[in-house]
Amino acid sequence: MTAEPVLQVKNIHKAFGDRKILEGVSFDVYAGEMLGLIGPSGCGKSTLLKIICGLLAPDQGEVIRRSDDIGLVFQGSALLNSLSVRNNLALALDGRNLTKKEEDKIIREKLELVELSDFMYASPTRLSGGQQKRTSFARAIVNDPKIILYDEPTTGLDPVMSTVIEDYMIVLSHQLSAASIVVTHQFSTWTRTTNRVVLMFEGKIVWQGTPEEGVKSDNPFMQQFATGSREGPMLAAKI
Amino acid sequence: MTASQPKEKRFVNPLQIAEDQMLIGLTLLGQVGYLFWRTLGYMIRLQIDWGESTRQGYMIGVKSLVVVGITALFTGLAMSLQISRELVTFGADTAIGGVVSLALVREIGPITAGVIVAGRVGSSIAAELTTMMITEQIDALKVMRVDPIKFLVVPRYTAALIVIPTLSTYAMFLGLLAGIFIAKTAANVPPEAFLDSVRQTILDRDFAVHYLKSIINATIIIFFSCAIGLNTRGGAEDVGIATTRAIVWTMISIFILNFVVTSLTYAPR
Repeated sequence: MTAEPVLQVKNIHKAFGDRKILEGVSFDVYAGEMLGLIGPSGCGKSTLLKIICGLLAPDQGEVIRRSDDIGLVFQGSALLNSLSVRNNLALALDGRNLTKKEEDKIIREKLELVELSDFMYASPTRLSGGQQKRTSFARAIVNDPKIILYDEPTTGLDPVMSTVIEDYMIVLSHQLSAASIVVTHQFSTWTRTTNRVVLMFEGKIVWQGTPEEGVKSDNPFMQQFATGSREGPMLAAKI
Repeated sequence: MTASQPKEKRFVNPLQIAEDQMLIGLTLLGQVGYLFWRTLGYMIRLQIDWGESTRQGYMIGVKSLVVVGITALFTGLAMSLQISRELVTFGADTAIGGVVSLALVREIGPITAGVIVAGRVGSSIAAELTTMMITEQIDALKVMRVDPIKFLVVPRYTAALIVIPTLSTYAMFLGLLAGIFIAKTAANVPPEAFLDSVRQTILDRDFAVHYLKSIINATIIIFFSCAIGLNTRGGAEDVGIATTRAIVWTMISIFILNFVVTSLTYAPR
């Protein structure tokens, strides 16, 4: 890890109408680090991710990025069905003025990383859920980004496919030395892939530490989230 | 179990509803204007994906040929029958071609093609773009620094500017064939006399108005359906709502602007 963070999230506030979504969230992410952004549904994780990649503007606070190359893996893959797998990846290369041959070389390389080079000219509609997810991984890393964001990468996948996807995340993070943020509430994903986790609840950070510390923590929020217990401050606040 | 409580009566203020609807309408018009302005910017700089425009031309134009053809043919048959009957009563059989062609060139051709394409293509564009919004495909484009307007709207508008006037001409031509058939079978007017009447009645200006209306229809269909699609969020239910909104707004706008163009070009002075 280098001393200077690749990504700094500083005191982010966001509200939709009267509803406060984020209230003063701050953290740093370093090169090669994979940060888990965990928390129950509706706690503001995905909104924060959209602010980090520039899809939403914060009401207050700022996001400092040391690189403009960002790869985002969407929860539902978000592949364009009217384009082939190749052209989905080529879209991300649009601004680089490459020849078709150069584009093909890069695209094939990235598809090989996720073991999908045989599907280069297939339509995304012909791929299985896991293959679509892997294609969206390849698309996210096609420009060798220094920041990779994963929005619920294993939600809706079976346990075996979740493990496969988690393995890809670990490999890609090491190969690219990228600063990664994984938004998830899947226990296996944040315990297996991340170096550090930030637990959010009702728009605020309520705990942070390593996954190992998280599992053993006696913080009531972390304890309830890690064990999935009905007893604790999270459900009480909702009821 | 306790007796059911009387429901609280809610006062619905009609003025409030009107104000809300007006705000929604004005917001949509603003979105349409913004989209039009940005699209025009790309087209003027010739930043057009011709491959995608050709694909859209096929989707909008070629796939509408049958439905526009059937509609134009039967509208032409019914209209020609009505006109023939009245003109025969007044002994003006030879004017059938002129009257039928005037109606076709000035109103029926552009309106038929416009309304059918609005129903078939406008709804499909709104549904497709809304689905892309909901499934985060538009967000994916933005993250890859691809402008959704350049990628999605420009090719559709480029295609529509070419194929909708072509469909209008096609509708006009089929309506004319229907007129020739009815004039011959119902009023015993030979095709030569029918076409002679057409030549004497139709002016170049009528064709100019025909194409102006077709271009306006293309603009309305593409920009209203794209603006609605690109500004809808939510779930599956919202796809249906967006589709209905797109059809309602495009149809109403087509009829209103058709009247505006007619009144500006043909109103008695």
